[in-house]
Amino acid sequence: MRRLLASPDFRAGFVEMLPACIGLIPFGLVCGVGASAAGASWLSALGMSAIIFSGAAQILAGQMLAGGAPLAIIVLTCSVLGLRFLMYSAAMAPYLTALPPRWQKALAFLLTDQAFAAAIRRFNASDDPRAGAQHFLGAGMALYLCWQVTNMTGYFAGNVIPAAWSLEFAVPLCFLALVAPLLRDMPNIVAAGVAGIAVVVLGGLPMKLNLIAAGVVGIIVGTLADLMRERWTRR
Amino acid sequence: MDATLKLWVVILVVGLLNYLSRLSFIAVFARRTMPPLLARALKYVPAAMLTALIVPMIGADPAAGHTLAFNPRIVAAAIAGVVAFYTRSSLWTMGTGMAALWVLQAVS
Repeated sequence: MRRLLASPDFRAGFVEMLPACIGLIPFGLVCGVGASAAGASWLSALGMSAIIFSGAAQILAGQMLAGGAPLAIIVLTCSVLGLRFLMYSAAMAPYLTALPPRWQKALAFLLTDQAFAAAIRRFNASDDPRAGAQHFLGAGMALYLCWQVTNMTGYFAGNVIPAAWSLEFAVPLCFLALVAPLLRDMPNIVAAGVAGIAVVVLGGLPMKLNLIAAGVVGIIVGTLADLMRERWTRR
Repeated sequence: MDATLKLWVVILVVGLLNYLSRLSFIAVFARRTMPPLLARALKYVPAAMLTALIVPMIGADPAAGHTLAFNPRIVAAAIAGVVAFYTRSSLWTMGTGMAALWVLQAVS
């Protein structure tokens, strides 16, 4: 462990993630505030950030719990949201096959939107899987620590933050930081556009079912757009 | 169901599903290739799912009683979106988005 913490790749990963961590501070605070608003105890708030470890799922679960949605609907909506981890996992897999299983299990736990974006850039830049894995572990640990601290701070000190700061706006901003860079590619633009319109049109559905419905419609139409583009370019 | 128990069931089930999704192709299906249609569809999960979350949050939600009149959140989000597109940085997106919202709220 000490040797790992001293390795330059681990440290580089940790340090390179710090700016992203600063950007995530407001998001983490809002998640903590949301857990407190949903009536969670401090231990279950910590459970949300430490076990779920996904801001989008935590916010959504908190809102749906507070709104009295049934358990099955909450789990269903959060698991569709979590499907993106399947894609990240598949994209990371080729770089991690050379590693021992316990490394793979540890790294998988730290796979988040932000860590994935950083890791893919890094793995593309070097061919040493072990160095890449140590870098990913450093980046993931920085995010994990930052996430627990900011969530707990938000839980306990959230009521000190003035409402005029509109801190809850940090949540859509965090998602925008992930989505906007994807809009360089036609099917992604279609998927986002359709999902964005569908979520408003379906706004009347109960229990926030419009989120999952709009997401699924966006995924399907985006996939169709991708298939059609391929047919046209092949001609 | 008791609210505390319900919350813990959500934490454990969603946490487990998230972990299994994260682990899936790294460890469990490492020797398999993903079915091509699934691989294609999963590429669009982040854009579709995250946009479905963003839009109601920036106030384009008729159910929340917003009008189509000037909404500082939509303008601030548009500015932040352009910054995110070019910088790909969560720090810059957060900084410009929050600053834009504060300025727009102060002047409107």
